[in-house]
Amino acid sequence: MRLIFKNLNVLRSTINAISTSIEIKEIVESAGNNLPNLFDFSSFGVFWKEDLLLFLYQEDSCPPPFTQEVVKNMIKVFSVLGEEPIEEDRITLQVEKRKMRPKQMMMDPKATLKSHLTLPLTVEGEILGCISLNSDQSNAFDAQDLQFLSVIGYQMAATLKHFQRFSSIKNIAIYDTLTGLYNRRYFEERLGMDAQKSFYGGTPLSLVMVDIDHFKKVNDTFGHTEGDQVLCRVSSLLKSSIRKKDTVARYGGEEFILILPEAGLEASFVIAERIRRLIENTLFEVGRAQINLTVSMGISNFPSHRAKSKEELIKMADQALYDAKRGGRNKVCIFAGKSAPWTVPT
Amino acid sequence: MASLVREDKGGKWSSDLILDLYANLLAEIWEVVSALIGEAILAFLFTLAIQKLGEKYPFLNSLKVSEEGVSLEGVREDYRTVAPVEIHRGFQSLVNHLSHLFSALAEGVINKELFPKVFPKFKEAERIISQK
Repeated sequence: MRLIFKNLNVLRSTINAISTSIEIKEIVESAGNNLPNLFDFSSFGVFWKEDLLLFLYQEDSCPPPFTQEVVKNMIKVFSVLGEEPIEEDRITLQVEKRKMRPKQMMMDPKATLKSHLTLPLTVEGEILGCISLNSDQSNAFDAQDLQFLSVIGYQMAATLKHFQRFSSIKNIAIYDTLTGLYNRRYFEERLGMDAQKSFYGGTPLSLVMVDIDHFKKVNDTFGHTEGDQVLCRVSSLLKSSIRKKDTVARYGGEEFILILPEAGLEASFVIAERIRRLIENTLFEVGRAQINLTVSMGISNFPSHRAKSKEELIKMADQALYDAKRGGRNKVCIFAGKSAPWTVPT
Repeated sequence: MASLVREDKGGKWSSDLILDLYANLLAEIWEVVSALIGEAILAFLFTLAIQKLGEKYPFLNSLKVSEEGVSLEGVREDYRTVAPVEIHRGFQSLVNHLSHLFSALAEGVINKELFPKVFPKFKEAERIISQK
């Protein structure tokens, strides 16, 4: 009786740790830290279908072939659960090794998978993944182990579903639904953070405002559906032209904006020019036609333009963009205050 | 099909007898297995098994599965004219497929609990069928 109470207490604290976790890795670690008090196992696995992530929490002495067997078995069981077979090389494997056994009970380097308990992680009839307890001993698990694992799995599935919902709400809040780029709201938030870093740290920061020239003509001639396709294509060209640390967002309509941290005027001009040329040289398929498009761009920079706030930096980039439009389009202009805008002939 | 459905001595349709028997069996499976793996997972596995076999045994699609259990009422209403042997085969395949899923998930742990309860019911169903 005392043992049952002890196990129930461990189960309770495991469930509590899972439900208060804030990311999947933390869920696995919370469970993994508690599970050795409930089960005698060599490896505990959690597979999350959405991100094709497989976390293994296992005994330090688990030999690599044993780990491979566990991975293969989890994939096999998952496909038995009515899911499409998953190629092993598409899965991201994360292994966390812990010393769970005393030295004299370390695993044999030739140990093989002898028994397992695997359960689907399901919520409202949807399968999110699976969890698995694995051992190098035969008949390592009994009915009570299965009961405990199912309670843990139930809590894990509920928490993962909660994450999934939260992440889709987060996606709606930060991404533009048409282009998949960040939206204006996220851009402002991101610029706030990057500007603060630059203003206080004295590192350069550039903004590039991009506008597709004569985009209204595309919509009027080919219709809005085709116009939307053009916006998506331009978005992917922008995305592929920036550095890892840069941010590209849809600012509104056919306007986009780039945040280029640690980029001085020269560097940001090089990036902008590369984008301008790339778009100019791309043939856009619109319906059955192929058309050429150009973009105009305006650049502002901290500290060169002495902006005192992020709002001022945006205004300066907007002013430079206006200058590029007024100067004949298909141009990159750098903010020049009240003096004549600085451009490079195209 | 209707010619295959005969009345037994007690006046009850043999299809109904088979359905009664499998209703009891499925209730028993539900009771044993849900205590081991929980209602949500078990309902998921039942649904999966029915999807797999529904094309071959369409009457199985009328089973109602929820986290409360499995109901055969839909089968009773919609498939009164199905031959008892067909019902027996359909349910036998369903139970076999569930057993295959249980074994894939938990090796012998679930089936060890289940087998002593399921096997006599299968025998009983076969006895009813062979008497007809």
